[in-house]
Amino acid sequence: MTYYDVDAILTDAQKVPCTFELTVPGLGFLEGNMSGDIKHGSKVELPLWLGEMLALSQSLSTGTPLVSLDHPPALSPRVLNALKADARTVDLRALVPHFYNLGARVLELFEEEEMIEVLSDSFKARAAVIADQAHNPRGALGEGADFMRGLDENERQLFRASHDSAKAVRTWMTDIKT
Amino acid sequence: MDIDDLLAEVAVDTTPQETRDLQALTRAWVAERVAPEMLAWPGSLMERVLERVRRQIELVEDQTGSMDPKTNFKLIVIQTELERFKFLVRSFLRSRLRKIDAHPLHILALHTDADEMHPLLSPAEHQYLTSHQTLLSTHYASSFLSQFPSSLQRLDDTTGGISMVDKPDEDAAVFVRVLRDVGEVAVEGTEKRFEMKRGDVWKMYDITPGVAGSDRWARDEGQNAVHSGERTK
Amino acid sequence: MALPLPPGLTPPEIAFICEMELVTIIPRQRLEGLELLGGPLKPLNPPQRASLPLWLALLLKRQRRANIIPPPWLSPDSLAAILQFETESSPDAFSPPPRLPPPPSSTTIPLSSPFLPSSTADAPADALPYHWLELGSMLLEAAPDDFDDADEVRKLLRGLREARMAKLRQGVEVLDAGGGFKMNGVGGMELGEARSFITGVVDGLRKIGKSREEARRERERENGYSPSQNYEDDEMDMR
Repeated sequence: MTYYDVDAILTDAQKVPCTFELTVPGLGFLEGNMSGDIKHGSKVELPLWLGEMLALSQSLSTGTPLVSLDHPPALSPRVLNALKADARTVDLRALVPHFYNLGARVLELFEEEEMIEVLSDSFKARAAVIADQAHNPRGALGEGADFMRGLDENERQLFRASHDSAKAVRTWMTDIKT
Repeated sequence: MDIDDLLAEVAVDTTPQETRDLQALTRAWVAERVAPEMLAWPGSLMERVLERVRRQIELVEDQTGSMDPKTNFKLIVIQTELERFKFLVRSFLRSRLRKIDAHPLHILALHTDADEMHPLLSPAEHQYLTSHQTLLSTHYASSFLSQFPSSLQRLDDTTGGISMVDKPDEDAAVFVRVLRDVGEVAVEGTEKRFEMKRGDVWKMYDITPGVAGSDRWARDEGQNAVHSGERTK
Repeated sequence: MALPLPPGLTPPEIAFICEMELVTIIPRQRLEGLELLGGPLKPLNPPQRASLPLWLALLLKRQRRANIIPPPWLSPDSLAAILQFETESSPDAFSPPPRLPPPPSSTTIPLSSPFLPSSTADAPADALPYHWLELGSMLLEAAPDDFDDADEVRKLLRGLREARMAKLRQGVEVLDAGGGFKMNGVGGMELGEARSFITGVVDGLRKIGKSREEARRERERENGYSPSQNYEDDEMDMR
């Protein structure tokens, strides 16, 4: 990640479920309680950057982390199973626009070999369809339209790049005829 | 080893220096266009090329106006070739400017650390970078930075786990063409090995040198990054 | 002014490089020798054949000062044989590139396309050189009358282009082969067209697998890394 990377900043702003393992004085505002404490066992949705920071901070006396993180709903077992069944039918954009980036960030926090496999296989299977659509723009408007709408941000960039380079070659082929 | 060293080695070659310089310039341009990071400035090559371009422009100016149709066609050939050279030089310089604009502080640090005999930037590029940076920071300071608390005014802060000094993605995948047999190459952290032979075209990433030796193997040997590819690592 | 183009060569730039390829011409007029920036140009004496860079050959052709001899591989027979190989004998891999000349001595710069003569009249007939598509397209446009059967050549080039692009697109499966994969036989314009897709997929997969990669590096730093002797050739079917 680089400092000015907007996609990385947006990814880090995604909410993840967090459970407080300790009662923390004065943090009640995180769950809408403006003046109180946040109680042990409270569940709140926090932006990834904040959740990560709290999960990495430990109580000095007991060594327990302040919060424990859970997988965001976009990466729940239900979604992963749907991807395993047929990655091409899942609307990733509806889940979260930076789907793979969020996956990569979550994988930095949890060691999950299987998720890496599922995400890589999904990305490859969908990339093959993207390549076809990029060379056949009419398909993207017809039956491919639903698939195209469900692309995550990385996939959209992939489509745009492949589409533009195919178009650049076609343009060159036409230009030499004049 | 840079292009100039390579050229020094080939003194015995019968190919005219002009032709070898065209080959070297083409290779330098392609590499610069496809590599995400800045490559070293090929100083003596550029001196020779620019000097010849200057003389050729003078020649064209002297002979323009000649009415002899034979000389006229010769001039068309010379001018066409001159325009091709000017395109090469211009595109080469402009793709370097693009990198300087994108990652000025990173490149300045690399230039400062570089060996004086093999500078990363030409004197003109270095001057451009520093003056442009001065203008920018003065402008940022007068338009908004000066109103920030002093601890938030820096543009090169590295605290907080992430550096403000941006740099290109040095692990990006690249296409390379192998110019000399490289031997066996190992992929860091895996048991993968592969043999890279002269003439091969590879797409590669995350490579560390195996028996090939120096960590600059590909920069020397594979660098003719095919006419494509993102970088020659 | 900084170049507004992202890394990677555009089709006009690839064609510009291709125009440095040597081709063989038959001059129709004399031309005195010239001192060019890229080296001396020998005098042209009709009907003696000469090898020139493509840009100059095209200039002479447009002014009707020369005819171009298409390279042997750009003939209907050769292209049909290569197309058959691409579609029947080798449905997954590209046909092999032309053989390289003997390796240069250790004291010379190894040449590569466009400076290896692979499109002159005495070039091999059985293999597509790196700039096959660009060179073929430009010659067909500028010098169709120098071909025996330009329409047939055009049709075969189109067939080859389609067969080979389909291979490039279907190659997604090999893209996460750690480290790299060989793409021998691929052409310059083809790489130009496929580059952003291939690079996008490789870099996307690299991001997804980054945590695993970092964990492995971490372990290696702790344990010390000893390369295993296992030799696994990662040669993919995209040769």
